[in-house]
Amino acid sequence: MNWLGKKNNQRSRTRTTPISRPLFLSKPFIDASLVEGSFKKIVVLPKYVDVDEWLAVNVFEFFNYLNMFYGTVTDFCTPVNCPAMSTGTGFEPYTWTDQNQKKNKLPAPTYIDYVMTWAQNLINDENVFPTKAGRDFPKDFQQTVRMIFKQCFRVFAHIYYQHYEQVLHLREEKHFNSLFAHFISFAKEFNLLPDKKELAPLEELITHMENNGRIS
Amino acid sequence: GFGGNGGQDYVVFDRSTEGFSKGTLDRSTAAKLKLEHFYKVTLDQARERNDRRNELEKKLEKEDISDERKNRQLQSLGRKESSFLRLRRTRLGLEDFVTVKVIGKGAFGEVRLVQKADTGKIYAMKTLRKADMFKKDQLAHVKAERDVLAESDSPWVVQLFYSFQDASYLYLIMEFLPGGDLMTMLIKYDTFSEDVTRFYIAECVLAIEAIHKLNFIHRDIKPDNILIDKDGHIKLSDFGLSTGFHRTHDSAYYQRLLDGSLNTSSGHRQLGSEANINLTLSSKDRIATWKKNRRALAYSTVGTPDYIAPEIFLQQGYGQECDWWSLGAIMFECLVGYPPFCSENAHETYRKIINWRDQLYFPDDVHLGPEAENLIRRLICAPEQRLGRHGAEEIKVHPFFAGVDWDTIRNIEAPFVPNLKSITDTSYFPTDDLDKIPEQPQTIEYNQKDLAFVGYTFKRFDVLTRKNAL
Ligand SMILES: Nc1ncnc2c1ncn2[C@@H]1O[C@H](COP(=O)(O)OP(=O)(O)OP(=O)(O)O)[C@@H](O)[C@H]1O
Repeated sequence: MNWLGKKNNQRSRTRTTPISRPLFLSKPFIDASLVEGSFKKIVVLPKYVDVDEWLAVNVFEFFNYLNMFYGTVTDFCTPVNCPAMSTGTGFEPYTWTDQNQKKNKLPAPTYIDYVMTWAQNLINDENVFPTKAGRDFPKDFQQTVRMIFKQCFRVFAHIYYQHYEQVLHLREEKHFNSLFAHFISFAKEFNLLPDKKELAPLEELITHMENNGRIS
Repeated sequence: GFGGNGGQDYVVFDRSTEGFSKGTLDRSTAAKLKLEHFYKVTLDQARERNDRRNELEKKLEKEDISDERKNRQLQSLGRKESSFLRLRRTRLGLEDFVTVKVIGKGAFGEVRLVQKADTGKIYAMKTLRKADMFKKDQLAHVKAERDVLAESDSPWVVQLFYSFQDASYLYLIMEFLPGGDLMTMLIKYDTFSEDVTRFYIAECVLAIEAIHKLNFIHRDIKPDNILIDKDGHIKLSDFGLSTGFHRTHDSAYYQRLLDGSLNTSSGHRQLGSEANINLTLSSKDRIATWKKNRRALAYSTVGTPDYIAPEIFLQQGYGQECDWWSLGAIMFECLVGYPPFCSENAHETYRKIINWRDQLYFPDDVHLGPEAENLIRRLICAPEQRLGRHGAEEIKVHPFFAGVDWDTIRNIEAPFVPNLKSITDTSYFPTDDLDKIPEQPQTIEYNQKDLAFVGYTFKRFDVLTRKNAL
């Protein structure tokens, strides 16, 4: 349980040194936004439209764009720089549960590679995300969508905490913030991130975005 | 560096992309552009979806039918919207289409008659080689074509249903027009009677008017781009991709042409050097020479300059009226058999077009009615005097068109109605000339600069769902 010890170390260190806020929570970046106004208009289920179809197309887009933005920091997300799938100080790194229900601590790039491959395979699976005319969604489809959302959230959190400098160097903060605000707005609308504990690392950001009306 | 400054957590961050790989920078630019495009499209689609629903709800409100029937119609709209959403997740690719035949060739690729594997529906698929287009600065133009085709609901414009790309090509899936094109028709018939000419030119007037109303100047209207539908009526294709469009934006190219330095080495451009065209030839001979070389011209990467207005390559600025000049040149060709300034090489053609005042010549051995000649002269003239510069209306009232019913012309019987044996009949296409082109586009590895094609993928709601097109 090496990492627990490390976590405690970090905690005590933050008490003695002045707390520097994570960049993404600092002004002006916390307010950077590509899309003005609330996402309400584009997250609510359009009248008469099938809800699974609406969830499917949105998961599809969120996954693709998150994947694209993660692709811009992969040069820096290495096993050396990111030996764990960590977010911020005080939050335990995420573990990957394998087929034997064993929780594995993986370097972030490995973890994210697993997540993205797993999600991509689901999204490409005609039985889970049907694309042919007349094919229906599986009964547990919304369950699957929740699982994908949970993992996507973790990738957002990792980028916010560990790779925001690169996001800034690449001038992506407006885009990344809007993608995240859109993602959370959608998740709230359809209760796709039901576990409040999961949201903790980015709670402050979410609250800020709610207060200024960007998250609906 | 950065650091918190007291209660005001405002930080200064020195940005620098030093140490970032070229690949990362490209990926970042692409991701940002794509996301911007995504939000633009998403907002547009939300608005359009809303409009469609409001429209139907309003319409149903006025109708005297049962609530149950109203509800059924609303549910049906919902199903269409849902299937459109599904389509957004569906990635059509080359493998979804089976080539029936190669039917056309342009500067940057070919046009194939294809069948969608699962539905059996028939389309025309135009391929555009990305590598070639980069060389030729065609990007903006690709987008222009797509946008105009996409926005238009006009019966005068070839409908675009879907587009996709791979490493080598851009693909446009369009409606298939089985009647071939006006160039092929002119090669077949030499000339048209005045009545037949009146029909095609009148339809072209309406087609050009339609694209001008979309705020677009075609700039490259020529018989190759005037396609014939199954009933014999015309539609315009090809916006912004043609070599003509390329020329119109490349001043260096013009300069070289005007200097005469371009065509000396280009075999393509020689309009049959062994058969010098001069005024002692009869119109019949001229037609023969013109026709012999016409198709090679259409397939060449420089294209034919014969229909382009002088102001375009004089680079003095031009407006929508340049398309009316092209129409004048096409009308001349319909009646005389070759375009007014055709010459043995492009340099000569350019020279003649610029000196159109001395070079526009109606051959003695072809009889033209006075109205026809007058209309041609009112179109092939200085832009300030050209008929149509104040709108298509002034052309429509010209005496040559006396008796044309502009509102119904698309519904009357066309002079040549294609006689089609099946939905995949290609007898109106000169496919013998194209048998060297492979059935399937040859895709090669090419992954640079994909960036430029951001936003290229296009799916059209109404045609896809309302008309059940895919
Ligand atoms: N939708 C269509 N249906 C049937 N035939 C078509 C269609 N589109 C194009 N063609 C055929 O293919 C030929 C070439 O197409 P097009 O002119 O669009 O190519 P292009 O690459 O733009 O050529 P260029 O650049 O030389 O103008 C046309 O002349 C026509 O015969």
